[in-house]
Amino acid sequence: MAKMLVGKGLILSREHGGTFRVLLVRGMSESAQSAHIEIPRPPSSFMDLRRKVSAMPWRETLTGWGIELMVPITSRNRLVGYLGLGRRLNGSRFVRDDRNLIQSLVDLSGSAIEKALIIDQVNDANRNLDRKVQELNTLFELSKEFNAGLDLQKILRLITFALLGQVGVRTYAVCLRNGPAMEIAASRLAEGEELGGILPDLAELKGPMLTSDMLRMKSYRSAAAELMRLGLHAAVPMHIQNQTRGLLLVGERLRGGRYAQADLEFLYALGNLAGISIENARLFMEALEKQKMEDELLIARDIQQGLLPEVLPEVPGFDIAAMNIPSKQVGGDYYDVLPRKDDQYVFAIGDVSGKGTPAALLMANVQAALRALAPFDQPLAAITGRINDLTSANTRGGSKFITFFWGTLDTKERLLTYVNAGHNPPMLVRSDGTVERLEEGGLILGIFKTAKPYDEGSARMERGDVLFLFTDGVSEAMNAAGEDYTEEQLLEVVRASRGMTSAGIIEAVMKSVNRHVHDTPQSDDITMLVAKAV
Amino acid sequence: MSEFKVHHREGEGVNVIELKGYLDAHTATDLETAFQRLLNDRKYNIVVNCRDLTYISSAGLGVFMAYIEDVRKNRGDIKLTNMSTKVYNVFDLLGFPILYEIYKEEQEAVRKFNEHAGPSR
Repeated sequence: MAKMLVGKGLILSREHGGTFRVLLVRGMSESAQSAHIEIPRPPSSFMDLRRKVSAMPWRETLTGWGIELMVPITSRNRLVGYLGLGRRLNGSRFVRDDRNLIQSLVDLSGSAIEKALIIDQVNDANRNLDRKVQELNTLFELSKEFNAGLDLQKILRLITFALLGQVGVRTYAVCLRNGPAMEIAASRLAEGEELGGILPDLAELKGPMLTSDMLRMKSYRSAAAELMRLGLHAAVPMHIQNQTRGLLLVGERLRGGRYAQADLEFLYALGNLAGISIENARLFMEALEKQKMEDELLIARDIQQGLLPEVLPEVPGFDIAAMNIPSKQVGGDYYDVLPRKDDQYVFAIGDVSGKGTPAALLMANVQAALRALAPFDQPLAAITGRINDLTSANTRGGSKFITFFWGTLDTKERLLTYVNAGHNPPMLVRSDGTVERLEEGGLILGIFKTAKPYDEGSARMERGDVLFLFTDGVSEAMNAAGEDYTEEQLLEVVRASRGMTSAGIIEAVMKSVNRHVHDTPQSDDITMLVAKAV
Repeated sequence: MSEFKVHHREGEGVNVIELKGYLDAHTATDLETAFQRLLNDRKYNIVVNCRDLTYISSAGLGVFMAYIEDVRKNRGDIKLTNMSTKVYNVFDLLGFPILYEIYKEEQEAVRKFNEHAGPSR
C-alpha cells in the first residue's frame, strides 16, 4: 500500500460461491471488518470500480468505503479473494506498470493467503464444533434442572438464562398456552409493547421460522409484520405430541448476526424440552390442587360430623331416632336434640345452601347460636330472630342461607312449640293416620336481618303420634331419570309405617328411597329426625 | 453435587462479587439473588472476581446477561476479572468478550471504575 501511495485497502476472502468476507482493513473504519459481501458473478480480472457499469449492491458497498480498484487473488488458478485498494494519495491513476506490480505481489501472496484461509476455516470449524458441544451441554444441563422442581416460575427463569446466555438474545418472549389462549409468561420487549393479538396465528407454526420467511407466507404475513415491528426475528413453537403448547419469540442478538438454521434447531430443542417440563409442572400443580380440595372436603366433613350429636339424649315418654348420610361432596345438613330446662327438649334440623367448608362453617355458626341462646327463658320466636341476625351478619348480605326448623318439646305437657324458618315443613302424623304439616314461622335464616318477628306454632302430641323431620336430601333424592322421590311418597311411607318404632320408620323410608334412586349416586345429604310419643 | 458460593465485598464505591465453584443452571439463582440485592440497593459498580470459579455454563452466562442492561442503564457496569482459561473460553465461544470488559486482575477493574467516577465527582 505504501509503495502505491494508497491510504485505504482491504482484503476479501471467498467463503463459498459468491460470498466474500472482509478479512482485513487498513485505513478505514473498523466497522467494515468481518462484513459479508455478495458478489454474484465474481470477476477474475482487475476491476476499476469508478467505471459506471450496471449498478450492483456490492459495488456500492465497496465504493462507499472508498475502494476504487479490485484485484483478484488466485491460488492454483482458483479465485480465493480480492485485494481492494482505495484512491492514491497523490491522486494519480493506476497505470499499466502499477497494475503489473500489484498483480505480481498478489500472485506471490496468493498461496500464502489460501493457506491462511484454510487454517482459518479449520479454526472456524473447530469453534463451531465447540459451540455445538456447548449447546448440547446446555440442553443436557437444563433437562436435569427442569425436572428437578416442577416449578413453572423456575423453568421460565432457566429458559430465560439459556436464551440470554447461549443464544445471546436481548429481546424475547416466552408464551404459553392457557386453555384456548396463548399468553406471555416471560419476556423482555421494548417498554409498553404487547403482542397478544398475533399469538393465535403463530400457534399453527409447524417448526421454527424466521420472521423474514414468515413475511413471504400469506397466513403469517400480518403476524410477521407485528413481530418485525417488535424486533422479534424468529418464532419457535414448543410442541408436545404435535400440539403447540407455547412459543419462543427471539429478537436481536447481542453479538449480532442472523439466526442460522443451527440456532433455530437449538431453540426448537430448548422449547420442546421446556414444553414437556412445563406440562409436567402443570399436571403436578393440578394434582396438588385436587389433593388440596380433597383435604378441604375432609376438613368440611369433620366439621359437619362434629356438629351432629354422637348420642341422642333420653327423652322421657318419647322414642327418638335420627339418621344422617352425608353426600360425597359434603352438604350442610344439621340436626340436634338437646335438653333445654326442666322437662323441655330442643329438636332442630337445618340445611345450609352450598357445599364444602363454607357451608359446614356456617352450619357450625347456627349450631353455636342455637346452643348459646336456647337455654334463655325467652320465646322461641325471639330466639329465632336473634339466630337470624347473627347468621345474616356472618353471611354478609345473603350469598348463603339456611333453612331451619326447631322446636321445644315439653315432655310433661307433651306440647311441641316450634318455629319454621323456611324449612321443608315437618310432618306430624297422628296415630289415626291424619297428617299435619308444621309451617308456622317466617323467612329462612341468613338473608336479611330480622325485620318481622317470627311466628310460633304449637301442637300437642298424643301416644302414637309421630313427629317426622327431614331435609330435602330425602324428598328430592333423584333417580337415574332425574326424578325426585317427592314429599308425597315420603308422606305415604311415614304414614304407613307410623306403627313402627322411630328407628323402624327411618328404615322404612330409607328402603323406599333406595328403591327409587336405585344405584344413582347420592347428590345431597340425607337427614331425618323422628320423635314418637309412646 | 456441584458446589457454588457467592461472596460479596464492598470497597471504595465498587462492589466485588467473588464466585467460587460451579456456576450452572442449578446454581444460577444464587448469583441472580446476589445481583438482585445489589440492584435493590442501587449499587451499580460491580466487579465479579472469577478467581475460584471452576466452571461456567450457558445458563450461568445468562445471569450476567439478565442484569447487564439494567446496570448500564444506571451508569454502572459489570466487569469481570481473574478468569481461568477454561472459563474464559466459554465466554469467548459464546461471543461475550465484546460485551463485557474483562481484566486480568481485580484491582484493574476497580481502578477503571474509580478513574471513570473520579472527574465527574
